[in-house]
Amino acid sequence: MFQPEAPLVERRQVARDLFVLAFAAPEVAAAALPGQFVNLLLRPGPLLRRPFSVHRATEGRVEILLRAVGAGTAGLLALRPGDCVSLLGPLGAGFRLDAAWGSIALLSGGLGVAPFPLAAQAARAAGLEVTWVHGARTAADLCSEWEGDRVVWATDDGSRGFAGSAVDAVPEVGAILACGPNPMLAAVARRWPEAQVAVETYMGCGTGVCLGCAVPKAAGGYDRACSEGPVYRAGDIDWPALPDHLHYRLTA
Amino acid sequence: MTDVGVVLGSLALRGPVLAASGTFGYGTEVPLLERRALGGMVSKGIFLRPRAGTAPPRIVETPSGMLNAIGLQGPGVEALIRDYAPAWAGWEFPVLVNLNGESVEEYGELAARLDGVPGVAGFEVNISCPNVDQGGMYFGNDPVAAARVTAAVRRRTRLPVWVKLTPMVTDIGVIARAVEAEGADALCAVNTFVGMSIDLRTRRPRLANRTGGLSGPAVRPLAVHLANQAAGAVRIPVVGIGGIATAEDALEFLVAGCAAVQVGTATFIDGGAIAAVHDGIAAYLEREGIASLEKLPRCLPRD
Ligand SMILES: Cc1cc2nc3c(=O)[nH]c(=O)nc-3n(C[C@H](O)[C@H](O)[C@H](O)COP(=O)(O)OP(=O)(O)OC[C@H]3O[C@@H](n4cnc5c(N)ncnc54)[C@H](O)[C@@H]3O)c2cc1C
Ligand SMILES: Cc1cc2nc3c(=O)[nH]c(=O)nc-3n(C[C@H](O)[C@H](O)[C@H](O)COP(=O)(O)O)c2cc1C
Ligand code: FES
Repeated sequence: MFQPEAPLVERRQVARDLFVLAFAAPEVAAAALPGQFVNLLLRPGPLLRRPFSVHRATEGRVEILLRAVGAGTAGLLALRPGDCVSLLGPLGAGFRLDAAWGSIALLSGGLGVAPFPLAAQAARAAGLEVTWVHGARTAADLCSEWEGDRVVWATDDGSRGFAGSAVDAVPEVGAILACGPNPMLAAVARRWPEAQVAVETYMGCGTGVCLGCAVPKAAGGYDRACSEGPVYRAGDIDWPALPDHLHYRLTA
Repeated sequence: MTDVGVVLGSLALRGPVLAASGTFGYGTEVPLLERRALGGMVSKGIFLRPRAGTAPPRIVETPSGMLNAIGLQGPGVEALIRDYAPAWAGWEFPVLVNLNGESVEEYGELAARLDGVPGVAGFEVNISCPNVDQGGMYFGNDPVAAARVTAAVRRRTRLPVWVKLTPMVTDIGVIARAVEAEGADALCAVNTFVGMSIDLRTRRPRLANRTGGLSGPAVRPLAVHLANQAAGAVRIPVVGIGGIATAEDALEFLVAGCAAVQVGTATFIDGGAIAAVHDGIAAYLEREGIASLEKLPRCLPRD
């Protein structure tokens, strides 16, 4: 775990209101595994850090993908090149990859695409065939960048690719990794309990000490999204008890 | 080097800054933290038995602060003794265990079970948790109940007994004196303030528990005042807590009559917060030509 002051080195737009920010943070970039996150502190800004999935980690840069949903994300998007954030990470337990699966689908809804470029690179390096399945409300909201061997687009309004939920557009594959709004992940869990899903909760510390990031488990009790998670076996989560409290649901 | 060591009853600390309960886990979670500066650590609150804690969402940020309702999630005392205390025994600073019970008897039983366990240097009796239905704050805002809990713990241990007070009282001095009279070695002032935040979209409280405990810079002036009142009411040392993020913040509590301080929420934001507070206190004393922390002039209500 590192906590460098990391300057913004690039910002690019990848969909309507959706941006990638790249920060120079070599130790974090070198250590980051797919599905892990970083916890960013903006000064001046909100009191607490804000967690973001590692989108890409190459050449000493840590990329995150975001849209403005509140003061923290708006402040990050207002940064100019050279402005610094305190970047804590990498944090959490990421995706597990196994060459024996042969193929995987990376299934995302809206912002849930965030962890998948890194996951796609790691999966291909592990010899897996990668299908990128990405859905959003409408074509303009689809993230334009993708990684893998083939891509399946889905939109709620049918403006591009499969018309309907991305969950219904997943092909036959050896394993599924999913990220998106909690209700979408609940649908994934009903269909594929073995899928690995990356969940979101509100976080106090990101390092395992505050117990604020409770994830209700199917077996009872709570886990810490920042430490045991944010990636879980879909069937292990008590979905009705996991709040759908994020206001920026981008897809069904 | 300016001497920043402090003596709290029978416990000598190498520095005046401790990690606050519930914000530092069991001390094993955060590799970043600069341990060299820790005067001591208070563990996450523990009950005799395991507790699941409250439903999420458990935290929400508020202006310059945060509300939490964790509900004292924890593995129970036996797991604490098995999994954490052995590591504490090797550490160069004392670890106090934050004790919680649903009844007076439970507090006493916990103290008895932990007394003599290597690694356990003392107790912080939590009569001030706002997020449990049974016990917690309900002991802390009644002087008779607060005294009974203190006595129950005192009878079962020779280790230092600190009692953590709630700010949700009319006169903290009354509680402070009641606890002192039953043999507490120190007071910790204060725990979180009860608060509520409403989501206007759902028109429901943001926390599943409805209410939570407010911490962070938002509470600091309130906490400094309460710590000052408590320090003015008793002879035993007072440990100041609430919204400390910098050395200046900590020095306000120390000048207000506290012997030491605890840092909580600030460590969520910066793993180096405790070290910065510790170093800043030493630098201030040096700058002001004050030879040691013991010699720092205090301003108590009676002065
Ligand atoms: C592991 C992890 C990975 C993440 N990865 C990404 C990512 O890659 N990209 C991305 O964009 N986001 C990601 N997020 C979410 C991101 O952290 C939040 O969008 C961000 O913290 C919002 O901060 P803010 O200050 O902009 O908004 P805030 O103002 O903090 O909150 C946004 C909205 O939520 C509401 N809200 C805040 N707290 C609560 C609560 N307790 N209950 C109900 N409502 C509440 C607010 O009122 C507001 O409407 C991730 C979260 C986690 C836990
Ligand atoms: C997430 C969280 C959990 C806490 N858990 C406990 C606890 O278990 N026992 C306790 O006595 N105080 C607990 N507290 C209160 C803190 O120890 C401290 O009194 C309070 O947060 C004020 O200090 P601060 O503003 O520096 O955080 C907790 C606080 C927070 C934010
Ligand atoms: S965010 Fe603090 S324990 Fe997970």
